[in-house]
Amino acid sequence: MSPATAIDSLLLDELTAATRDVFKTMVFQEVEASSPIAGDAKRPGANVVGTVAFAGQTSGLVVFYSSLEAAQSITASMLGIDPANVNGELPDAIGELTNMIAGSFRTRVAHAKGEMWAISVPTVTVGSDFYTKYVSDVQRVLCPFRMRNKAELFVELIVTRSTVQ
Amino acid sequence: MRFLIVDDSSTMRRIIINTLNKLGHQDVAEAGNGREGLDRLSAGPVDLIITDWNMPEMSGIDFIRTVRSMPDIKDTPVLMVTTNAAKDDIVEALKAGVNSYVVKPFTPDTMKEKIEAVLAR
Repeated sequence: MSPATAIDSLLLDELTAATRDVFKTMVFQEVEASSPIAGDAKRPGANVVGTVAFAGQTSGLVVFYSSLEAAQSITASMLGIDPANVNGELPDAIGELTNMIAGSFRTRVAHAKGEMWAISVPTVTVGSDFYTKYVSDVQRVLCPFRMRNKAELFVELIVTRSTVQ
Repeated sequence: MRFLIVDDSSTMRRIIINTLNKLGHQDVAEAGNGREGLDRLSAGPVDLIITDWNMPEMSGIDFIRTVRSMPDIKDTPVLMVTTNAAKDDIVEALKAGVNSYVVKPFTPDTMKEKIEAVLAR
């Protein structure tokens, strides 16, 4: 089995569909998905990282990555304001965005596989010169997306290896 | 008409307020959790409560159960907006006294239709 298929492809399909649905309904724009990247390849150099954990028969994390400019654009679109006026709203907006992606992902997996998961509250990190490292034994797949303005976004699925099915 | 939005996400409160404004409703109070929601209601009744489920201090479900136990406001219509989409969750919410239910993510049209439907009851 190749690293790209170590995580059930159904999970990746549902995560991609959940992300596209959240952007279409709450950010009011389509995002273009590219092929998922499996393994421990270098993570995107993002300034904004949103994380929601899930636990159940499968456990892990859904992680959203974007540049600060893309996060400002997303926040402005969600709130119906000018991107230049985005300031303190950004962490909450990206947290809510990540929460909705994870929540929609959970619902889709429940319908497809019958698994019931609990999800955590979102956490958001905003800054530069930082990276995230997961100390437990995990499988990781990064799903790239491109916004209408060509800004790149990434949604990563991290699954605790003991629960990979 | 007067509305109360209870959600720990200021983003979600703003999104719902934007929808209410587009429907012509300007009188909207906000709260960050169920306990704050009860504080807002102590200042006076509202025509519709829109609440999240998962919040710190007091969840949306506990908040609704408390509202339904208070004689002066027990009949206030409640719309729940949440990522909890499992059938069991919806049944639990309805048993707690929710009148209608919106699963996030939602389109503005869906939110408008749900608000209008609850208010029309």
